[in-house]
Amino acid sequence: MLKINDLNIFYGAIHAVRNVSLEIQQGDIVTLIGANGAGKSSVIRSIMGLVKINSGEIIYTPKNGKPVNISNMPVENRVKSGIALSPEGRRILPQLTVEENLKLGAYIRNDVSGILSDIDYVYTLFPRLKERRKQKGSTLSGGEQQMLALGRALMSRPDLLMLDEPSLGLAPILVDEVFEIIREINSQGKTILLVEQNAWAALKIAKRAYVLETGSINISGTGQELLNDPKIRAAYLGG
Amino acid sequence: MHKTRNLILTVISVILFALFLNKAPEILNGYWLRIFNLIAINAILALSLNLIYGITGMFSLGHAGFMAIGAYVSALLILPPAQKAAMWILEPIYPFMLNLNTPFIISLIIAGIAAAFFGMLVAIPVLRLGGDYLGIATLGFAEIIRIIITNMTRLTNGSLGLKGIPAYTDLYMSWGCFAVILLCTVCMLNSNFGNILRAVRDDEVAAKMMGVNIFKVKVIAFTLGCFGAGLGGALMGNLITTIDPKMFMITQTYNILMIIVVGGLGSVTGSIIGSFLITIMLEWLRFVENPITIGSFEIPGIPGMRMVIFSLLLIVVIIFRREGIMGTREFSWDIFFPKSKAKKSKPVQNYDHVLEVEHVKLKFGGLTAIEDLNFNIDAGQIIGLIGPNGAGKTSAFNVISGFYKPTEGRIKFLGKQIGGLSPDQVCKAGMSRTFQNIRLFGTETALQNVTVGSWVRQKNSWWMSLLPFIFTDVLREDSEMKTQAMNLLEQLGLSEYANEKASALPYGAQRRLEIARALGTRPKFLLLDEPAAGMNPNESHELMEFIKRLRDEFKLTILLIEHDMKVVMNVCDYIHVLDQGVHIAQGTPSEIRANKKVIEAYLGAGASSENSQEAKF
Amino acid sequence: MTLNIFVQHFVNALSLGSLYGLISIGYTMVYGILRLINFAHGDIFMLGAYFVFFATIVYKLNWILGVIIAIAATTICGLLVDRIAYRPLRQAPRISALISAIGVSFFIENFAVVVFTGMPRPVVQPKILMKPIILPNKVRLIPLGILVPVVAFILVAALLWLLYKTKPGLAMRAISFDIETTRMLGVDVNKIIALAFGLGSALAAVAGILWALRYPRVEPFMGMTPGIKAFIAAVFGGIGSIPGAMIGGIILGFVEIMSVAFFPNLSGYKDAFAFFLLIVILLFKPTGILGSKIEDKI
Repeated sequence: MLKINDLNIFYGAIHAVRNVSLEIQQGDIVTLIGANGAGKSSVIRSIMGLVKINSGEIIYTPKNGKPVNISNMPVENRVKSGIALSPEGRRILPQLTVEENLKLGAYIRNDVSGILSDIDYVYTLFPRLKERRKQKGSTLSGGEQQMLALGRALMSRPDLLMLDEPSLGLAPILVDEVFEIIREINSQGKTILLVEQNAWAALKIAKRAYVLETGSINISGTGQELLNDPKIRAAYLGG
Repeated sequence: MHKTRNLILTVISVILFALFLNKAPEILNGYWLRIFNLIAINAILALSLNLIYGITGMFSLGHAGFMAIGAYVSALLILPPAQKAAMWILEPIYPFMLNLNTPFIISLIIAGIAAAFFGMLVAIPVLRLGGDYLGIATLGFAEIIRIIITNMTRLTNGSLGLKGIPAYTDLYMSWGCFAVILLCTVCMLNSNFGNILRAVRDDEVAAKMMGVNIFKVKVIAFTLGCFGAGLGGALMGNLITTIDPKMFMITQTYNILMIIVVGGLGSVTGSIIGSFLITIMLEWLRFVENPITIGSFEIPGIPGMRMVIFSLLLIVVIIFRREGIMGTREFSWDIFFPKSKAKKSKPVQNYDHVLEVEHVKLKFGGLTAIEDLNFNIDAGQIIGLIGPNGAGKTSAFNVISGFYKPTEGRIKFLGKQIGGLSPDQVCKAGMSRTFQNIRLFGTETALQNVTVGSWVRQKNSWWMSLLPFIFTDVLREDSEMKTQAMNLLEQLGLSEYANEKASALPYGAQRRLEIARALGTRPKFLLLDEPAAGMNPNESHELMEFIKRLRDEFKLTILLIEHDMKVVMNVCDYIHVLDQGVHIAQGTPSEIRANKKVIEAYLGAGASSENSQEAKF
Repeated sequence: MTLNIFVQHFVNALSLGSLYGLISIGYTMVYGILRLINFAHGDIFMLGAYFVFFATIVYKLNWILGVIIAIAATTICGLLVDRIAYRPLRQAPRISALISAIGVSFFIENFAVVVFTGMPRPVVQPKILMKPIILPNKVRLIPLGILVPVVAFILVAALLWLLYKTKPGLAMRAISFDIETTRMLGVDVNKIIALAFGLGSALAAVAGILWALRYPRVEPFMGMTPGIKAFIAAVFGGIGSIPGAMIGGIILGFVEIMSVAFFPNLSGYKDAFAFFLLIVILLFKPTGILGSKIEDKI
């Protein structure tokens, strides 16, 4: 569904992403893990079109469509072709209500009744959001904001859902809950690209995993393989 | 020596230009003489606005107001009593003003001082605002000044204005004043005070951390700029011989702004080139507003066309060549000659000390960034501060370096309580830091960046740098600081970049330069915020050696935030771990690597129990 | 002061204030999104006045048609300014866009001098708007004085409806908090910014038309002072807030009219009040009456 070949990203003089290649199959959970500053967010943001890439290609195959190189596609067209991102730090719009945040997530759609039923679907996934639907985004707790970010990303009915650090800053109990929900969303047919610092939790649910270290991918494999690989810990804690 | 060569060339060209001005009244007609006077006056105005905006980075739209003050003060001082008595027809002039009469030069100086005084009055409340708000507030003040002038009829003759001002402004006066202002400006900009001004523009936060009292520096620059505005306004009034409040509308400020934008914000040379270009073009463009005869056709002049072309030019310049003609560069004779390089060597110092962080808590509103941080650091150690994203490491740095005030708890540095001091005071106490996302003064050279750090140690006052020929000690001290800075660059292997702009340096060099700049304040304690960020494995390997060397050569104690664990584990004597604001662990590198809590913080819950036994560190 | 005179002042203040409010909405929307002081906005307002002048007085179209044409033409001008002078500078330092805005303001003013000449032109007021209505207690009201605030309030209500009840409105509010996130959710950011410019310009056009009727003349520099004052009103009300802009405008209108009404010898300083208010509010509550904090990043 998504294939990245030899991706390179520079920020000024910093070579943030070095020759990264990866592949995501339809229906999988794929995770991209690595220590802070390894370049995970840069990769995911370049797929969304929020970061300019310096070389390489990003090839996306929409459901029932042909492969397209989306490297230069405007962001809104990427959303329309079925890619959505729940960004790092949640980025909830603080002065908009929960419901407005969700509606904004459905901006590219025009089917009013479909949108309403999807909002209901999000509320069944996250009942807490329903209680707070008229509250402003800024009044939510961290966990609720994370749920809202997830829900908002679902609102465009994406085929490929990308989650950037969904567990960041959450209490352990909530972390488990979030990962449970990710698994559930996946079981309903969405392909998921998960960027995580919380490697163990991510590896447990991932079909395939890539480990980024200072901008390049040196280790990859199935989630199970990597769970038992001592090199992972070295990547995080030095060795 | 190329310095002597440049000096000779400068002197020769100044003499040539003076000769030209001397002969000018014979060669040029009245029209061109007026233009040449205007060029000098505009150059004074441009230099002063450039000092405020281009060099110190304060967006001021109030120049016209300060020009008005200067023009009125000077005119009131030199108009003969008889003429004053005749001119105030609506209401009589104040009697004490009637007989006030001074020579022209004195009136110019008083005009400048008056504008500077009001400038300072405006600056003190308004400079607390930043960016656009500052622009609007200064614009507001300029309008208020204009409105007050219009209404204080007994002092200013109100909207009728002042007529028949003696036309004292001639080429000698205008270019003479320009020469003095130029000389003072250049001397100041070349001194370390000039570095400070540019540092404030490039990065206020970093400048604060280098021990600079930003507010004071800004007020000084603004006041000096207003002096120039007052002087320029006075000269202009005496050139045109008639002034009224309408002359000093916002349009006047825009004209000067245009000059410095076209010339290049922050460049003295640019301001001068801009003055020539814009003044001549504005006059020359008058042809579009006069009827033109081509053969037997007569094209009628189009009023307003001049400013249409002019404003289009401004838009085109800003869209296609934002940096103007010169950017922030300056003219130098060196461009005609091939380059050469300079060198020299070594000082070392001795210290001893401790940092004590006692139960520090930091809250933002309801959010707790740091929960009870408690640790001591002994002299000569390298201490690591680590933790996953959002753990509060940078917040801890900001509390220690004075950027945030701790909500609770105390911080003692060298036995002295520093919690709550401002960054520049903390810096003066002997602490310095680098930033996660490099915050160099981008438009200054590597050498200048480091000299900024020496500002805290400088003894001479800023105003001495205006007249370095009298206060020669300034030059001596400046060159001493420069030598010290050069030595630092050399020790850190940066001497080849000394005269390169900081923003043009390779990434690794920028990181090292930030450290050099921090060392320029002669700290006893250095905070490094992610020095290895963005480095490849080779570079970060070099960095490890470099940090150890720093500690030994400069007798430093170092506190280090870093995500690259190879670096942390390798260089640190002791490590503190934060997770979500909580100080969860401390110990030697090997203790930390085996610590369950740390592994869970980094790799997620369950990581330590399932797999830690067979994992190899 | 008789009741009649007081009512006159009150209505004057209300209509002057609503005009400031209408103009300031354009500033506040653009500033809220781009953090750009659109210096050309006052000149867009001037164009509105000129367009209606030409449509109805020079080309003798009927007023309703003339007003529609004037609003449409002004809106197009506002969109062009954004497209030509601001959009190329979106990635540039903010100060560049600000200087560009100053250039555009200069350009429009002087272009108006070239095309319309610098001479002020009188506007013939439709009689129906000028015939006084006599209320009890000999209070006389001119319909125009009531029309201005009524139109202003209807337009603000419509704008608020658009912002809070429609999809583009939702996107516009979102953009003013976080452009990147909004783009990431599939919103074409440039279109929404253009919409903000368009709406602001249309409101400025309405203000220009009403202004031309109220002070019956047009001239190329007529937008300068009301423009700056309206920006001040926007800051006063809390930049980024539309109700705030309207409240700020009305307060400013009252301060100007009432201070001169009660202290006639201050009339020479009338134009200074706005700036004085501005400086006071900037120093004591920089976020304005209804504004939320616009964060400066460290």
